[in-house]
This record gives sequence, C-alpha cells and structure tokens, in this order.
Amino acid sequence: MIGLIVRRFLQLILLLLGISFLVFMSMHIAPGDPATIIGGPTASASDLEAIRDNLGLDRPVIVQYADYLGGILQGDFGYSFQTGQSVTDAIITRFPNTIKLATASMIVAIIIGIVTGIISAIKQNSWIDLSSTTFALAGVSIPNFWLGAMLILVFAVNLQWLPVGGLSAPIYTIEGMKELILPAITLGTASAALIARMSRSAMLEVIRSDYIRTAKAKGVKQRSLIWIHALRNAMIPVVTVIGINFGGLLGGTIITEQVFAINGIGRLMIDAIAARDFPIVQGTVLLVAAIFVFVNLIVDVIYAFIDPRITYN
Amino acid sequence: MKNKRYFQFIAFLIIAAFAVVGCSDKSSSKSGGTSSGEAASELTYASTSDAAGLSPIDTNDSVSSNVTGQIYETLFTQDPKTLEPEPLLAESYETPDDNTWVIKLREGITFHDGTPFNAEAVKYTFEQIKDPERAAPRASLLAPIESIEAKDEYTVVLKTKEPYGPMLAALSHTNAAIVSPEADKEGDIGKNPVGTGPFVFEEWVEGDHITLKRNEDYWREPAALEKVTFKVVPETSTAISMLETGEVQFIDALPSDQLPRIESIKSAEVQKSEGTRVSYLGFNMEKAPFNELEFRQAVAYGVDQEAYVAQLNGLGTYNESIIGPKVFGYNEEAKNEGYPFDQEKAKEMIKENGYSGQKVTLLAANRDNYMKMAEIVQSQLTEIGLSVEIETMEWATFLDTARKGNYEMTFLGWSNSTADGSELLYPNLHSDNIDSSNYSRYNNEAFDKLVQESRSTVDQEVRKEKLHEANIMAIKDAPWIVMEHGTVTAAYDKSVSGLVVDPTGKWSLYNVSRK
Repeated sequence: MIGLIVRRFLQLILLLLGISFLVFMSMHIAPGDPATIIGGPTASASDLEAIRDNLGLDRPVIVQYADYLGGILQGDFGYSFQTGQSVTDAIITRFPNTIKLATASMIVAIIIGIVTGIISAIKQNSWIDLSSTTFALAGVSIPNFWLGAMLILVFAVNLQWLPVGGLSAPIYTIEGMKELILPAITLGTASAALIARMSRSAMLEVIRSDYIRTAKAKGVKQRSLIWIHALRNAMIPVVTVIGINFGGLLGGTIITEQVFAINGIGRLMIDAIAARDFPIVQGTVLLVAAIFVFVNLIVDVIYAFIDPRITYN
Repeated sequence: MKNKRYFQFIAFLIIAAFAVVGCSDKSSSKSGGTSSGEAASELTYASTSDAAGLSPIDTNDSVSSNVTGQIYETLFTQDPKTLEPEPLLAESYETPDDNTWVIKLREGITFHDGTPFNAEAVKYTFEQIKDPERAAPRASLLAPIESIEAKDEYTVVLKTKEPYGPMLAALSHTNAAIVSPEADKEGDIGKNPVGTGPFVFEEWVEGDHITLKRNEDYWREPAALEKVTFKVVPETSTAISMLETGEVQFIDALPSDQLPRIESIKSAEVQKSEGTRVSYLGFNMEKAPFNELEFRQAVAYGVDQEAYVAQLNGLGTYNESIIGPKVFGYNEEAKNEGYPFDQEKAKEMIKENGYSGQKVTLLAANRDNYMKMAEIVQSQLTEIGLSVEIETMEWATFLDTARKGNYEMTFLGWSNSTADGSELLYPNLHSDNIDSSNYSRYNNEAFDKLVQESRSTVDQEVRKEKLHEANIMAIKDAPWIVMEHGTVTAAYDKSVSGLVVDPTGKWSLYNVSRK
C-alpha cells in the first residue's frame, strides 16, 4: 500500500509538470491579450504596452515559463493579473466553498443513487424499477443550469423556503444548510442518476451469481442477503463512479457555482479564462489535476477495504 | 469482523468530511448580505462580476468604478442629470491662459486614514497616474498634462502642452479620483482603499462581496445608508430572483431580454433613461470593398435599425448621429445627416456598383446584444444582395482580433464615461489610435484635424462646433453605422429612494436611503 502511494505521488509530480507546461503554453498561444482586458477598449497603444511590461509579458514565453516553474519550486504560484492577489490566496478563499458544495451534492447523489439503484435491481422490471430508470435517464439529461434556475424559481422565489444563492453562513447553522440544499440537488442529480444506473446493473449481476443462489438456498434472510452479501460485492464499480465524480466536483462546478452565485474554484477558473488571467488559470488547472489523481488514489485504497483480495504489490 | 472494519472506515470518511468542511468555514463565516433581518439602513447591490481592484489609479472597469466611486472623490464631478462638470473636492478654478489651470481646493477635508487632503495629495495622485512605471490603464486621461505643481497647501496648478478642452471631464472621471498618498505609499490601496468619499472600506472577500460602511466624519452631511454590500452574482437571472426575494435591493445594466420579467416584479422599481453609449456596425477601412464609400452607403441604406431597436423591449433609441444626444458636442441637426433605411436604394446601389453576391463576414462577440445585431443585419444585408456570414468569438479573442484589424465588418459599442464628444471621436476614429482603440482603422486627415481642434480648444462653444463638424463628416463618410444609442437602467426595491443613474451609467449611493 505504501509503495502504491509513493508511486502515485511520483507520477503526480511528473503529471503536474507536463500539465503546467501544456497550460502555460496554450494560454500564451491562444488568442486574446490580458492587457486589452485590463486596459479595456479605451486603453491606448502605449497604455497597453505599459501594462504588458508591468506583467512581464514582453519577455520570451520560455523565459516566463522558467520563471513560473522557479516560483512554484519555492511555493510561489504567482499573482493574479487582474487583482494582484496571490494565486494561493485566491484558491484558499474559494476552495472551502467548492468542498462544501461537492461534499453536499455527493451525499445527495450517493443516498439517492444507491438506494434507487438497489431497489430497482431487486424489483427488476417493476414499476419502481421503471420509474427509477426514468429518473436516472432524466437526471443525466437535464442540464444543470435549467434545473438550477427552476429550483430557484420554485423554492426560493415562489415558495420562499430557501435563499436564492450565495454560501455565506457557516455550514453548521440552519442558514448554512439551507443555502446548500438547492445547489446540492442541482449538482447531485446527474451524479445520482449515474450512480443509480451503475448500482442497478452491478447489483443485478451479483444477485444472479452462484454464491448468492447458494446463500439463498441455505436460507439467508433476504435483507442480509442484499445489504451484506450482495451490496458489498456490487460496490466496486459504484465506488469508481463515485470517486471520479467527486474528483470532478471538487475541481469546480462551473455552472452550479455560476447559477447560485457561489464563490468557488469553478467560477474562479472560468472568470480567469475569460480575463486571460494566466497565473490563476494555471494554478486552478494544476489544483484540479492534483485532486483528480489524489481522488483516484483514494478510490484504489477503498477498493482494498471493500475487497480484501485486491492488493497492490 | 470484516463488517466492523468496513463500517469503521465509512464512519471515518464521514467524520473526515465534516472536519474538512467545518475547518473551512473560517474564511466565509463573516459575511453579510443575506436576506433576513437586514436593517433598513443597509443596501446590497448585485454585481455581475467582482471588482478587479479598489485603486482608481490601477483599474479601468465599470465594476471596480462602481465601488471606488463611493470611496474616493474627484476634483470635479458631473451633475447626474445634465453632466455639467461642477467642483467637488475642488472649490473653484481659473484658466489664466489656455495652457494653465489653477485649481483651488476645498479646505479641511481628510482622507479616511486621517491624512489631510491638500495640493500635495492631488499632485501625488496625478503623478502616479502619469508614471509609466505604474502603468495606469487610464494614463491617457491626464496625458496632455505636462506638469503638476502644488502652489500652496490648497492650490494646484496644472500646465498642459497644448490647450486641453476636455480637462474638466477628465478630472471628473472616476479613474482621476484622489487617493491618500500615505496609504498608497505604505500599503496597497487596491486592497485597502483610502479616499475622502462618503463610504469607508470595511471588507472584501474576493469573488464574493465587498462591504463599505458610512464615513461618519465625512466633510459633507454623512450618507443615509450605514452599510452597503456589493455582492457578486454572475447570473443576471439569479440576481433578478434575488431582487424579487429581497436578498439584494439594487441591480443595474438590465439586459433587454430580461426586462419584462423585472418589470413584472411588484416590489421593484425600474429606472430607464437615455445614456451616452453608442453601438455601431463598423467597417474595416483598410480592406476592399469596405473602404469604398458606395459600398458603405449601400449597407447603411440597407440596415433597418428600427427593426433591431424594436426587439430591445424599450431600451435603446435610434438616431443617425454618431455623437449621441447625451454627449457633449451633439447637435440636433446631425440626427438626419446619415443614410436612412431605404431597401430599394440599397439594392440599386449594390447592383450598380457591382457588389452583387459580395461575400461579407460579420464578426460578433458573443456578449451583450452583438449577436442579435449580427443576426438582424445578416438577414437585412442578404435581402439587398450580399452574401453574409457571421463569425462569433468570445470577448477576449474578439478584442484581440478586432484590434489587429482581422475582420471585415463588426459590431461594437462605446460607453462614453466622460460624456464628452472628444472622448468618443478621438479614441475611436482618430488615426493616432489605429492599432489600438480605432478598430475601424479610420484615417481621414480633415476629420483628425477637427477632432484635434475639439481637444485643444478651451472655449466650450468652439469645441461644440468642431465636434459637430467632425460628427457630420464621420456620419457622411460612414466608417460606422449607428445601431442604437443606449439606455441606462437600474432596478431597485421600492424601499430604496434617491438613486439616480447618470447617462454614463454611473451612480452614487451618497444620496440613497431606505424606508
């Protein structure tokens, strides 16, 4: 296990190096000049030149990249072109909101997804199965921005049960919880649908396997048959889906953050791309990549817990 | 046993998740602007994006100006209704000769950090704006000023290289606001702004909100509002929902397609008035056939702006003049000097000059109403016999492409923040600014001369005449075809009073109160 973790960390470093190079170069090659955004359409040619000089953009790209890498080695990820804020600070301010949102929506997704998946597997082809597979199909098909806007209209504007947007109250307060409900449902629905489909098919496969039939023949109760014997073995593919999804959610959830005015990583990234704020784009992409690798590592570790036959040597 | 270990692990995961989330609350627990229990002396404004910074010297975007405009003050200010410059931090001024401006400052004012406001502060601020090292994005505002002298404690003398007509408009610009020299030298006023204005900076959670509180020691009567919050709400439809539920009390720059929804909100008031912004269809004057007058005339006859304006739900008006009715230099005569919609005439001109089937690409940025303009103009120009395609781009790419002149025809707008005609014609159509803000790459010596004269004359009546002449010349020459003159808008809760949006889209919260 330790070997696996060490190996993964080495891979992570190489991967991040490659990603930093790709992102850096693609931002510099892509059309759009940070100075024109900062200066605005009113800026004169000399204003723009002064801005470029000031940001160091007049130097050769490879020199800029070397400078950037040198900074990273000393823990300095650079400063935002727009606000002058350090990239680390910009991320630290927003990451907690993204974690809150991702965790809450994952909880929603896991509870809804696994329960509906299992029920529809047990009651295959019943009306419950039919309606839950319909839900799953709708869940992956409904666009986030539409679902979010509709939930706001119904629950915040018309019924006034929940606030429209923002994440400002602490999570342990009622206000804080209320703020999370709509975004978590908006974001969790698609993942819930995926998890439901995955658990249903994995469960169906396991239920039909020999050892379950044997257990049934031996008179094991239906409840413990499903929840103890079958579920655990059906979990491997489901955990993979959950892991990958969670990694994706932690990397920022652009649309949900946008619709619910949540100050998270996704919005930081999208605003930075629009403003050609290179240091912020690079910093957030590196973070997202690192999270993905890290979450995958955790998924591997969880495999070993679920199925002791899996070892990493 | 196995089960036990499994459940222990799950329990651990849940606890860990809560621990992470719990720890993360520190940064965001102390913020305001939620709906319930907001006192009547507080106001929350929804902003589509976050401020870039809170230093007027180092920023040039309207979102930042909305905030800095409450914290800092300028020497002069424009009356929100007439846009006439009037003294604010200045008390009076005189111009002993065309190149000298002697400005007498108000006495007894201090910055929020206790630094006295005086001639040295003005000198310091203006020198910072002009300093190439500082790379102020609006350095061009004060570029004509050659020297700044603090003659005595409360007198500043500005000397220009040549007479600078729009001086007072430039000194009224938010980006020419006076900053506390002490605060700027010792810290970062982009993060901790220090001005002389009616509101004092309190907190900025980047990407989320900015809070200001009332300046109790303000040199005039303190403001009625005790606390104002600028909350970042990127989605307009979310901001409108928040206005409806009372989570915010004020939004502005309302998009035309959302207007019916906003107007249907019973608890909200909508304000609409003529603005200085002009939106236009511009030609690339360095490419054929766009550099041929007959072609541009034919296009101008072929475009029916009323059909476009009719889709704006009452926002925007059409008038052939490039200098809009709310901009200094406008003369009523100009409004019928262009080429009114006449499809038959347009068809004829296209045929006569051999432009039939000419391929044209309309470049449109995918924001504001540019796509709508492009679609309408595409169908109108197809009718007169051109073969029209639309190319869409995201804003940053668009700016870069258009600035370099890699387009044929495009749509753009100009929000004239000083409401002065010279500030419209010089950056956008003077040949000095080809490769920067003169996207049409318009190069006309006679026109340049008139614009230059409008800038270098101090006599405002003469300036007006020069601008009118230049305006007529540009309308006839048609490097631009006006699409609309903008409307400035705001929507606010009915409890809010005293809010006036001026024609440039600016507003001050100083006179605003809540019932």
